[in-house]
Amino acid sequence: MFELKPTINALMRSKLGAVLLILQLAITLAIVSNAVSIIQDRLTYLNKDTGYPEAEIFKFNALNFDKNLDLLQQVELDEQSLRDLNGVIDATAVSSVVLSGSGSSGGMQLKPEPQESKRVNMGYVTGDEHLLNTLGVKVSEGRDFTEADVVVIDESDARPSVIIVSRALSDELFGQGKGLGETLYWGADPLTIIGIVDTMANQWPKSSFGTKTAMIPMIRVGNFQKFLVRTEPQARAQVMRQIEELMLASHRERVISDVTGLDQKKARYDAKDVLMMRMLMTLIVVLVVVTALGVFGLSTFNISKRTKQIGTRRALGARKSAIVRYFVVENALICSVGLVLGGAAAVLLGQKLMNWYSVPALSYHFIATTAGLLLLMSLLSVLMPALRAANISPSIATRSV
Amino acid sequence: MLDMKAISKVYQTEMVQTHALRDFNLHVAEGEFVAVTGPSGSGKTTFLNIAGMLEPFSGGQYCLDGVDIGKLNDNARADLRNQKIGFIFQGFNLIPDLNLYENVEVPLRYRGIKSAERKRRVEECLELVGLAGRAKHLPQQLSGGQQQRVAIARALAGRPRFLLADEPTGNLDSLMARQVMELLEQINREGATIVMVTHDPELARRAPRNIQIVDGRVTDFTLYQGRSAETPLAAGG
Ligand SMILES: Nc1ncnc2c1ncn2[C@@H]1O[C@H](COP(=O)(O)OP(=O)(O)OP(=O)(O)O)[C@@H](O)[C@H]1O
Ligand SMILES: [Mg+2]
Repeated sequence: MFELKPTINALMRSKLGAVLLILQLAITLAIVSNAVSIIQDRLTYLNKDTGYPEAEIFKFNALNFDKNLDLLQQVELDEQSLRDLNGVIDATAVSSVVLSGSGSSGGMQLKPEPQESKRVNMGYVTGDEHLLNTLGVKVSEGRDFTEADVVVIDESDARPSVIIVSRALSDELFGQGKGLGETLYWGADPLTIIGIVDTMANQWPKSSFGTKTAMIPMIRVGNFQKFLVRTEPQARAQVMRQIEELMLASHRERVISDVTGLDQKKARYDAKDVLMMRMLMTLIVVLVVVTALGVFGLSTFNISKRTKQIGTRRALGARKSAIVRYFVVENALICSVGLVLGGAAAVLLGQKLMNWYSVPALSYHFIATTAGLLLLMSLLSVLMPALRAANISPSIATRSV
Repeated sequence: MLDMKAISKVYQTEMVQTHALRDFNLHVAEGEFVAVTGPSGSGKTTFLNIAGMLEPFSGGQYCLDGVDIGKLNDNARADLRNQKIGFIFQGFNLIPDLNLYENVEVPLRYRGIKSAERKRRVEECLELVGLAGRAKHLPQQLSGGQQQRVAIARALAGRPRFLLADEPTGNLDSLMARQVMELLEQINREGATIVMVTHDPELARRAPRNIQIVDGRVTDFTLYQGRSAETPLAAGG
């Protein structure tokens, strides 16, 4: 009943329109399935928990011009006045800001350098015993830093002896669930893991080591100092407005800059990904619309070209449903060829993209789902012209020459 | 076989109403060969279209083989066309993308006939019209006369009891036209009822019964039983 063979034969005899549509469908499938896969990957990343209450935290910089200033004393003074401020939960001077895309990274090893051993890349932040509380994270194993753990780096060669790491870092170094109480090496310096935080992203959350983070209890002061502040949930904006005045009140000869929420820092760090997602979505919409129009246009063209033949078929006993079926089957045939080719092209394109850019491997269910939706869209696009074809009067057969 | 009583057909366009048929009465018995003549625009094609259920009629009653056509829905009319009627068109109306074999097969597929039986019938019909050797050719590779013979094979493939032809020889030269006419006569001898519209008086004279349509009404001339062509037996309208 589906007239497969004559439909295929007829298609083979007037290929051009079909070939164009096949190409269009193949290209659409190849591009759309890869784009969807990339979007999905980025969405997973963007929705991933960093571990921090980003909306309650902000950072700022202080750049000092006073050569005679006791920097360490000033930092302690600043921290104290920040912590005393209404609405502030905690504050600390830090070496760099998580989620911001800039800071310090390095490798943690199982044995001291220069010995060869397992080495895991990570990002680290230094600060005092207020660091974890300011970032709004808690150790799930072990303990937080105490004042006694914190080391000030100056002329003496005092070194920190303890460290708190993210679960991802300890798991990678010591194995699943292990690491508390173990010693790792930062260059040649041994550090004992006293605490593990389950989720705690570093400065580069979308990098391959974005979840491998270390917190080191250490203060190294300089003329350029970064601060982190955590506030009550509703109080952040109001606290941020007061910062410049508060800092300048205790010491005038400096510039306060980049008073920015942690969520905004992350948004800036992610801006390129969001832009790319928008562009990919636009591309998908354009491709799908163009393909739908292509199917619709080709069917409409085919039908107007075949008006007389449709009338003749009706005269020879075709029911309306048989005419609809003819065009739907024809379209499904073209579609299947296009989608098979497109599926192969999608796999190839996925491999190339994986080699050229850091995109994840394209999983086949994206191709299958996209192909299914394209088939559905194509059938919907052919349906309207096909129904119109079915309404062509059989009298066309005798009336047109 | 065919029984039309007071059939009328009105074409309504924005500007004018055309009465293509009015009070049209005709009875065609099983096995007849009827030639229909008449001036251009008199309603011959309209009559044939209504007889073949290609168009609805505006009034009157039409029974085909005892079935009241006015009461049928679209699917039932399509099935009836497929089973009982074979069409032969002036423009041949072969499907250009299909080869001769596939063209002849079309009505059989709509009837849901199995592939082996289809093959037998298609080959038999192509044989009958003398084109068995060209089954794989496309219509455009044939002459007009050959194309019309394929169209006849297609009309015959479903073994219809009723053949309707609208100027089947209109696009053919006289030699080809005679061949087609001989084929139709042979088919008629084998039992099919034929109604053929033609402009060619010579071909019309070869048919045992002639009717003339003038201004949407029928005039009947019957040539057998020794009557002359000029004696009207019954005048419709
Ligand atoms: N679809 C239509 N809409 C409006 N008027 C129509 C339509 N089809 C036919 N007519 C009119 O109906 C009348 C009969 O037309 P018909 O085609 O039956 O004539 P005919 O006898 O077959 O003529 P010819 O010998 O030229 O083929 C004509 O006046 C024609 O203009
Ligand atoms: Mg006509």
